[in-house]
Amino acid sequence: MIKLQINGQVREVDVVEDTPLLWVLRDVLGLTGTKFGCGIAQCGACTVHVDGKAVRSCLLAVGAIGNRAVTTIEAVGQTPAGARVQKAWLDLEVVQCGYCQSGQIMSAAALLAATPHPDDSDIDAAMAGNICRCGTYVRIRAAIKKAAGERQA
Amino acid sequence: MNWFNRLSAAKRTLIVIAAAVVVVIAAVSGWMVLGPGPMDFAGGRRVALADYHEADPTGVPPELERASLVQRGEYLERAADCRSCHTAVGGTPFAGGRAFTISIGTLYSANITPDKETGIGAWSDAAFLGAIHKGIDDEGTPLYPAMPSASFTGMTDADALAIKAYLFSLKPVHNEVPQNSLGFPFNQRWLVGVSSFFFNPDRRFEPNADRSAQWNRGAYLAENLAHCGECHTPRNLAFALDNRKKFSGEFQAGWRAYNITADKESGVGAWSAAELAQYLSTGHADGRGTAAGPMGDAVDNSLKYLTPGDIAAIVSYLQTVPAIASTDLPATKASPAPASHREGVVADGNPHGKQIFEGACASCHGWTGVGPLTRYATLTGARAVNDPTATNVAQIVLNGMARDTPHGKVFMPAFGNAYSDTEVAAVANYVTARFGAQPSGITAKQVAKLRQEN
Repeated sequence: MIKLQINGQVREVDVVEDTPLLWVLRDVLGLTGTKFGCGIAQCGACTVHVDGKAVRSCLLAVGAIGNRAVTTIEAVGQTPAGARVQKAWLDLEVVQCGYCQSGQIMSAAALLAATPHPDDSDIDAAMAGNICRCGTYVRIRAAIKKAAGERQA
Repeated sequence: MNWFNRLSAAKRTLIVIAAAVVVVIAAVSGWMVLGPGPMDFAGGRRVALADYHEADPTGVPPELERASLVQRGEYLERAADCRSCHTAVGGTPFAGGRAFTISIGTLYSANITPDKETGIGAWSDAAFLGAIHKGIDDEGTPLYPAMPSASFTGMTDADALAIKAYLFSLKPVHNEVPQNSLGFPFNQRWLVGVSSFFFNPDRRFEPNADRSAQWNRGAYLAENLAHCGECHTPRNLAFALDNRKKFSGEFQAGWRAYNITADKESGVGAWSAAELAQYLSTGHADGRGTAAGPMGDAVDNSLKYLTPGDIAAIVSYLQTVPAIASTDLPATKASPAPASHREGVVADGNPHGKQIFEGACASCHGWTGVGPLTRYATLTGARAVNDPTATNVAQIVLNGMARDTPHGKVFMPAFGNAYSDTEVAAVANYVTARFGAQPSGITAKQVAKLRQEN
């Protein structure tokens, strides 16, 4: 059994150590808000927070997490940055098909928690690994700036 | 010299030039031919194996003393790593056909399964020993030195025949491998025979009586089975190993095999014995990087199967190899890069490298270079990112890597079909500048060449 701290709760899961966190979230714990996209950390759909940092859960082995706190899209609204991001997302109707958006929101929330007033280069550095095939990038950028309390460019 | 004086001035000049050329060729050839053997650096008394009274440095380790002939052969095959070369990409192990694209053409490895028509199923023991020790096939034709017979020649008959017994216990695979395509003069196989005559001593392992049994075991494993020098030792004009520069590194099949001498800056002299053992047995040492490319294959197909005692023996031998500096390789940078993308070195003002890094690389390698998902993705301290030629960084970007580690399978996707030569060069230069001791300046043209060589 492996003990994980997920969304403020201790969860015990009976999986081998090299199981990716994403599989545990979706298939073992039923937290299906986090999406599977590419499986090779190239699209960002599976992004969660580990100790507040955005990481790709598809390639993170559960055995490597230890006591670090995992936050998923289901609970990110309980963090100040996460709540602001979700509100901005709704206000600007960022979402089109929505498949990538859990990952986009997780990356944006981690960005704002670390860099409250990001400029375009900060947004590029944090968000370039999150792919949106609908092409909502323009609204994503605007929503991040709105959540940061800046005037929209 | 009367006859000489009677010649015209022009003829006399010609003769003098010809004589000078002969002297130079003789001197260069002599310098090459009279080069030291792989274990000569250690000095001391070399004795025949029968006259060595410590523990036998050959054969299998004590754990396998009671094992069957086939099991012994399997261990020794792992140590000699026949399969890395004798298996095509995605092919059946030992069925051959792996292409080696080198500057002079393409070579294909042989099928060494016991198939009677296309493999070595019809080979006698003597024929097998001929290939291992002398580098000749069952008809006496010289094999190209991609077959490391000059290293394998030290293998005892018993060990070589145990490997044969293991190979003959496998399922025969009918697989006709493609013909080699080499240009003149390299398609003249008799030249290989001439080279072997000078550079393959055709002698079995002779222990050094002034060194420990552990050192001698390490020497036997490193030189005559694992054949480390075939990649890590530079070659001379005749494509033979130049042991004057033993283990000081070489460019080989598109990758750079690094300096593994005791040099503290450019070699592995600053590595602890524990780090060397961890790297050899798992393909990763914390703070020293992760093996990929041909060394990744060597670990996953061969070295990770060796017993801890045999790994320790190789380490004890390796640490005695004299330091030779590679002047273009700086000491590796041990500290991670800054956590912010804004800080740290910006490579040559070219924004494309950073653009590619933030989209494709940062998820696994982080902005610091310390892998947020797995230690195997940590770039900090890796020799490849501290190599101003960026050869191996570009190769890994092009081809990705797939490793079977004690922590499960780890991989990096291949980006060769996703990015142009210009983009691969840009991201490689960004990576060395951000995470290494010295920025690289690899060009799109060089990347294009690496694509051909791999």
